[in-house]
Amino acid sequence: MHIDLKREIKESGAGKTGLIILLLMIAIALAAPILAPYDPYQQSTASLLSPSWSHWLGTNHVGQDIWSRLVFGARTSLLVGFGVGILATLLGTLFGVSAALVGGFYEKVVMRIVDAFIVIPMVIVIILISAYIRPGILTLILLLSLLSWQGGARIMRAQALSLKERGHVAAAKSFGANRFYLAWRHIVPDLGPILLVEFIYGVRRAVFMEAGLAFLGISDPTVVSWGMMMRDALSFSYLNVWQWWLVPTGVALSLIIIGLAFIGHAAEPVIEPRLRGVAIA
Amino acid sequence: MFSKRNLITYAIAFVFILLLNFLLPRMMPGDPLMAIYGDEALIAMTPELEAELVERFALDQPLWQQLGAYFVALFQGELGYSYYYNAPVLSVILGRLPWTLLLVGTSLLLSTMLGIVLGIESGWRRGSRTDRTLLAGLMSLNGFPDFFLGMLLLIAFGVVLGVFPLAGALTPYSGLSGLALLWDVLRHLFLPVAALTLAHLGSSYLLTRNTMITVLKEPYMLTAKAKGLSPRLLKYRHAGRNSMLPVVTQTGIWMGRVVTGTLFVELVFAYPGIGYLTYEALLARDYPIIQGVFLMVAISVLAANFLIDLSYPKLDPRVSYAY
Repeated sequence: MHIDLKREIKESGAGKTGLIILLLMIAIALAAPILAPYDPYQQSTASLLSPSWSHWLGTNHVGQDIWSRLVFGARTSLLVGFGVGILATLLGTLFGVSAALVGGFYEKVVMRIVDAFIVIPMVIVIILISAYIRPGILTLILLLSLLSWQGGARIMRAQALSLKERGHVAAAKSFGANRFYLAWRHIVPDLGPILLVEFIYGVRRAVFMEAGLAFLGISDPTVVSWGMMMRDALSFSYLNVWQWWLVPTGVALSLIIIGLAFIGHAAEPVIEPRLRGVAIA
Repeated sequence: MFSKRNLITYAIAFVFILLLNFLLPRMMPGDPLMAIYGDEALIAMTPELEAELVERFALDQPLWQQLGAYFVALFQGELGYSYYYNAPVLSVILGRLPWTLLLVGTSLLLSTMLGIVLGIESGWRRGSRTDRTLLAGLMSLNGFPDFFLGMLLLIAFGVVLGVFPLAGALTPYSGLSGLALLWDVLRHLFLPVAALTLAHLGSSYLLTRNTMITVLKEPYMLTAKAKGLSPRLLKYRHAGRNSMLPVVTQTGIWMGRVVTGTLFVELVFAYPGIGYLTYEALLARDYPIIQGVFLMVAISVLAANFLIDLSYPKLDPRVSYAY
């Protein structure tokens, strides 16, 4: 596995665009308290105002400042995204690599479960569970991670299986390295680029799901979320407020997802080297 | 030949879905009656009804006996009773199903076919201006959540231009029939289908394009070219056909995505299918409906995947050697 992921992304125009979009969003999320002139939860009697110097994107139906909510919404979106990305990648690596190294019955059990979860439509499972437990942010991260590590595990296992047969791993084994040492020192480090691609896909799915659940109204109503903002805005679509309420929110959400898709696309040759050079130049 | 491995996979998936549907409401803190039958049931509740409901799902028995009662009810085709709609869950769902089937079927067909054609053309002209524009454009489109695309279409064509109806699947009380009715249905269908198709076009396009590029490098493409075949034949009969195979395996998974996509899109257009039903049920905490929809959707997606797995070796004989 001698593919330089950094180079792969930097050399592709799409990869660079994606990276810039994502970094910009992260910066906005981090600087939210500075960028937002109002408390995003503060309600007032000044509802449904048009954009002005004091309210850049106007106010919503309960008089909250839309720009402040937009900026703080980036935090929710990215927190859930990165949380799930990290946790799902960890779980995928844990089960994928251990299945490849342990083999036997354990591998069979893990892989059958993985295959089963891949054919189950995840969104509807999450909707059912959320309908009952109305998850807060942490529960949501856990839930999404538990339901989305399986695809990564399959790829990680395949990669670990091929790495296992390489010379340097065999050499380490002949020196008496145990399986745990082999996995930690020789296999996981070589999985690096794939881990990153899986991480990006995980973030993308989670950002989408968080917004989707909030849009359906089955997430924590006390946390500001873009999905919830779009849902509120939609019920006022007969007014012209969509111009500064609905559209900026939707565009922000789409931008994050598009940015991640571009990075993922540029990094795809890592999983499928035959695609080298087919990305947007 | 269908492998034992696949059978086990689907069996696990099936059991997981049933168990989740059984356990979730029963593990909730508080009154299981409420979690199983929904808020509305409690309003209608009389001591006799309560006794009957407890009896039906054996709620006063240990968990494994409850499981037995659950399976018995399920295999009798009994999905429960919605106290919100005051009708059996099955008939409520079946009443909404045709609209969703119409929506999902049309969008899946359109997005897959369009994606394949665009993918073949784009891969064939790889690196050209057309290819790059299509790739960047469709990848961006792929990033738009389907419900946001729906809202944009709704506002642009429904609110601002006013060329399409804003909500529903039919003009209410219009008394239309024949061609006028068909026209009315199509007009209501147009925007939701457009939203779903645009949101899912990217997946089939990207996959076809990627496969097309690898297929074009195969030696048999060189042979075909050396035989002097026309580019059109090369493109569609030799490269294109082979590029479609991975698309077929993915159709099952996409169907799952389009079905879940309709849940969101129907809400935007107030389209009276399964998705809108789910939304209403979520608002009313009508749990029997939510559970029924979950079972129905999950199992039909599983079944579709299963059928595609079954038919795949027929499309690509190489697969059957692999087992």
